Amino acid sequence: MKQNQKKAWLFLAPALICVTVFSIWPIIRAFIMSFQGGPLINMQFNGFANYVYIFKDPDFWHAILNTAIYAFLAVPIGLIISIALAWWVFSKIKHQAFFKTMFFMPYVTSTIAIGIVFRYILNGKYGMLDFCLRAMHLPAPDWLDDPSMSIISLIIFGVWASLAFNIVILMGALRNIDPNYYVLADMYGASGREKFWRITMPQLVPTLAFLLTVNLIGAFKIYTQVYALFNGVAGQANSAMTAVFYIYNKFQVVGTPGVAMAATVVLFLFILFVTYLQRKLMKKVNS
Amino acid sequence: MKFSKKLTAIAVAALAMLGTAACSNNGGSNSDSNAKIPTKISKKTTVVFWHAMTGAQEKTLKSLTSDFEKKNPNITIKLENQGKYPDLQAKINSTLQSPNNLPTITQAYPGWLLDAANAKRLVDMTPYINNSKIGWGSAKKSDIREELLKGAQIKGTQYGIPFNKSVEMLTYNKDLLDKYGVKVPTNMKELKSAAQTIYKKSNGKVVGAGFDSLSNYYVLGMKDRGVNFSKNINFTGSDSKAVINYYADGIKKGYFETAGSAGYLSGDFSNQKIAMFVGTSAGEGFVKMGVGNKFQYGVAPRPSKYNMQQGTDIYMFNKGTADQKAAAFMFIKYLLGKQQQLTWANKTGYIPVTNSVINSSEYKDSTKTKVPAQLNKAMAHLYSVPVVKNSNAAYTQLNSIMQGIFAKAKKGQNWNSAIDAGKTKFQSAWNQ
Repeated sequence: MKQNQKKAWLFLAPALICVTVFSIWPIIRAFIMSFQGGPLINMQFNGFANYVYIFKDPDFWHAILNTAIYAFLAVPIGLIISIALAWWVFSKIKHQAFFKTMFFMPYVTSTIAIGIVFRYILNGKYGMLDFCLRAMHLPAPDWLDDPSMSIISLIIFGVWASLAFNIVILMGALRNIDPNYYVLADMYGASGREKFWRITMPQLVPTLAFLLTVNLIGAFKIYTQVYALFNGVAGQANSAMTAVFYIYNKFQVVGTPGVAMAATVVLFLFILFVTYLQRKLMKKVNS
Repeated sequence: MKFSKKLTAIAVAALAMLGTAACSNNGGSNSDSNAKIPTKISKKTTVVFWHAMTGAQEKTLKSLTSDFEKKNPNITIKLENQGKYPDLQAKINSTLQSPNNLPTITQAYPGWLLDAANAKRLVDMTPYINNSKIGWGSAKKSDIREELLKGAQIKGTQYGIPFNKSVEMLTYNKDLLDKYGVKVPTNMKELKSAAQTIYKKSNGKVVGAGFDSLSNYYVLGMKDRGVNFSKNINFTGSDSKAVINYYADGIKKGYFETAGSAGYLSGDFSNQKIAMFVGTSAGEGFVKMGVGNKFQYGVAPRPSKYNMQQGTDIYMFNKGTADQKAAAFMFIKYLLGKQQQLTWANKTGYIPVTNSVINSSEYKDSTKTKVPAQLNKAMAHLYSVPVVKNSNAAYTQLNSIMQGIFAKAKKGQNWNSAIDAGKTKFQSAWNQ
């Protein structure tokens, strides 16, 4: 068996120190703080009280449920639309560069700015979307002010915002597929649908697995979109409260860092579990 | 195998170190030296002031500050904008951990600083107020309105000096009220009937009235019924339900409305979608701008006995030299001077905090804004949210609880279940 050289530690030290201070220490500190009560300047050990509090707090469960609904709906919907658009741009469209730029635009625009525009579009009284819906004699819901619509509005916003990154990555993956596959398929008379399902999709699986993981983890940590869409609050009646919003609120605004950290630990375990499940699933798909 | 053992050892050592660090980091608050207060600043002194003022407010603050610096060449006031109120609150909260990075003075609501006061990180302003050279000689001589000064106390100690304060006022569309023959309401009963009349006579096109702050609506509604804002409020009790139902009934029937995600009703008001609304006196500038020449608006005292005193005070942190503290206090005193208060009030819409200015003819006869003429009446009975543990959190939570209840009312559903759910949330906010 090969022995690690001692000198290697010296070269690793800068990276190790950075990782310890900025990644590992915060995790450990969060874990310790989750067992402490009181304000940030004078925290005292208080056992499992923070965990007991969050498990009893209806807002916490609401936040976790919202986050899960958002993650499990916005991510798959976003991915499906991204695949469709990427495939469409890749195979059927001229002036690809123009469309690629168009689709990538949202990625380089600030979420807060997009949120402000979405607020105008979705406004129940003066909004463009409801104006169009009414013109077509369709029901025009109050997207922002009706608490039961908040999560749906957030999903629409989230899906739209996620398309840019997904499409660009998928276009790259599509370009990497060996064109000979399609030439051969054409020779044997395969239809467009067959080519998509038998060649394109299997070739895209590794990219999709990557996007699924990144998007899911991102979705679980959603905060900025909520802030942007609902003007700095978590929707009417806290109806769009998400886990990270809950954590931020408890930490910074309410001033109970212990409670916030307990919620952080729970969210961390939750994301860990979902990621584990997803990896298992991907392994099965790949094999 | 060997590597993993090493890693475990390092992790255990790190945890042990962190454990000791975490345990040893309480206490250590620097006690106030309470040395003699300097009455003259002869050395160059810098005072850092954290604030959350934007637009016209920030501009006015800057110009007042530069006037002060001209008069006191040894003192530099460094104004540092920290964003909106919640951002400022978050910044103070997180900086309290490393007191050296705190500013000399900051704008704040007393509720934000309860922990700081407990940890002795704030300066008691009383000796400064009572100092006849730096301060006024006594609280009475300061001429600051008593309730406002009291509102800047934390657990009975005068840690703050009121600065940018506001109260709630009723803003109404005069043309619409005249058109429908409705008098300006002076109490909640009249408000309801006025709103009903407007809604009916306009065939449902114009909503009668609404309240910007649902937290204030509830807290003042309860206070008018003799119930103070505290942990002991029975959210499902008869008083509480009466306050909630008054508004919810109106929403269900269409003559009342809430601000929703816009946050303020001034937008709907200027678009003549609502005839009256209760909002902060500091918002008159926005109303004026929105209304333009479309119609005439009027301002009246909030149609209730009690009114909420809102807005922040200035607090001083227990850090820096005696000179810095004295200079900071001189600056605060300057801001409360008669001319400065008049400028501040006229340019920002905030209310003056000294009696002489509130009652002065220069202020009352202001032709630019309509709040001044009504202010004295509107401030007859002031109330503020008590500064106790979690009161700030419970007060904020009320807003979302009310939104939940009123959303049900708007859809015509029964809202009793939302009141029950609200009770749990309300108690949860108090008990964290």
